[in-house]
Amino acid sequence: MEAPPVTVMPVTGGTINMMEYLLQGSVLDQSLESLLHRLRGLCDNMEPESFSDHELVYLLKGQQGNPFMLRARRSLLHPTAPWHLRYLGQPEVGDKSRHALVRNCVDVAASHSLPEFLNEMGFRMDNEFVAKGQVFRKGVMKVVVSKLLRVLATGNTENTEPLSLSYLVELSVLAPAGQDTVSEDMRSFAEQLKPLVHLEKIDPKRLM
Amino acid sequence: MQQREEKQLEASLESLLARVAHLKGSLQSFILKLENEHDRVTWPSVLDNFALLSGQLNTINKVLKNEKTPSYRSQVIIPLLLSPDRDEELVKLTEQRVPVFSHEIVPDHLRTKPDPEVEEQEKHLSAEAARIGPEVAQKQIQTLNKLCSNLLEKLNNPRDDRDSETSALRQNKPSFNPADTNALVAAVGFGKGLSKCRPPGPVPPGHPGQPMMSTGPTLQQVTIAGTTGHQAGMGGQVAQQQPGQPGKMPSNIKTNIKSASMHPYNR
Repeated sequence: MEAPPVTVMPVTGGTINMMEYLLQGSVLDQSLESLLHRLRGLCDNMEPESFSDHELVYLLKGQQGNPFMLRARRSLLHPTAPWHLRYLGQPEVGDKSRHALVRNCVDVAASHSLPEFLNEMGFRMDNEFVAKGQVFRKGVMKVVVSKLLRVLATGNTENTEPLSLSYLVELSVLAPAGQDTVSEDMRSFAEQLKPLVHLEKIDPKRLM
Repeated sequence: MQQREEKQLEASLESLLARVAHLKGSLQSFILKLENEHDRVTWPSVLDNFALLSGQLNTINKVLKNEKTPSYRSQVIIPLLLSPDRDEELVKLTEQRVPVFSHEIVPDHLRTKPDPEVEEQEKHLSAEAARIGPEVAQKQIQTLNKLCSNLLEKLNNPRDDRDSETSALRQNKPSFNPADTNALVAAVGFGKGLSKCRPPGPVPPGHPGQPMMSTGPTLQQVTIAGTTGHQAGMGGQVAQQQPGQPGKMPSNIKTNIKSASMHPYNR
């Protein structure tokens, strides 16, 4: 009996290439309350979910090319919940008329030994931060309002300081590739948050 | 000529008396009301009373300003007879307030000069006015007039004008800072502003090649040629990516596997 042939393409057709459509903006601390009120009104009617997460960014530096980045995230409010590992691809340079940033997105859950595993694999932690805020949903759209905090001592999430005087506001949708109607819906939702927040497509490469 | 003046004086005095009597009546009723019903009195009724008093003072002013009124300053009242005896007539005239026309009441009732403090203030004011000079005074008058007319205009104009102004002012306060947006996006995107940390040394080796992930959503299954057989037998899902080729999973893994030039276990 021979070993089955090695295949590199997915055998079980279970995976769809999920893309993340993203719009980002920020709101000053003093205007946060008005934004939260507006979001409560606009979004689905449920108790707003608060979160407090510790995110670690791992880089794998190879001999050539850009280092490979993975993001590991754990909840500080629910310490027993699994870790969340996420890969985000490069933003797709498509037509300029697309209103949101589109990038490939892979999400998995992981056990608590994830940091050690990643270290074993050769990844090195590049930076870490704590994000605290609230999540709102409207259909498939997800709005995350979070305060980013810098971790002052590696691994110690008690000792943090805010990165700026603003909250980061992100509107994202996870959808299969090719659905461009999603970005239209996102744009009309973003219109409703003006002039409190200006959600726009921000290219991270531009800020490097 | 003198008769005409006398007649005018009499007529104006009469009308002045009548007005002052009205004023006295309303003041009396107001005081009574405040004294007896102070716990029941409402602010609008107090305002009404004040309005009434101000109206009556206005009419008195008008009477005094009336051109038919002779100047009272030119008239002098001289007491001809002062006696310490009680005078019934006087009592009746003054409604029991002045029983005796004596030396004590004359300085109070017949006084023409204002109080000393009031006199001082008046002197100050007139000195001040003389000091600043006519042009400056004229300019001040004009500014005051302009301010008053502006205010009147604002108050008289319809409400929607005012509302649009105030809403425009409110929107001017910015609720977000674009620089902050950029800083936050850069921090999340590639760690700008976050301290780059390198954990001290690699974690002591566990079991190499044993993926310890719980079954989550399925990822692309990749089996790597060239690794030992026991890994192919694993049921776990492994997400592996060759370094330096982000975003192009299937094809690059194929090429790298074939070349077998590097694998992630190099350190």
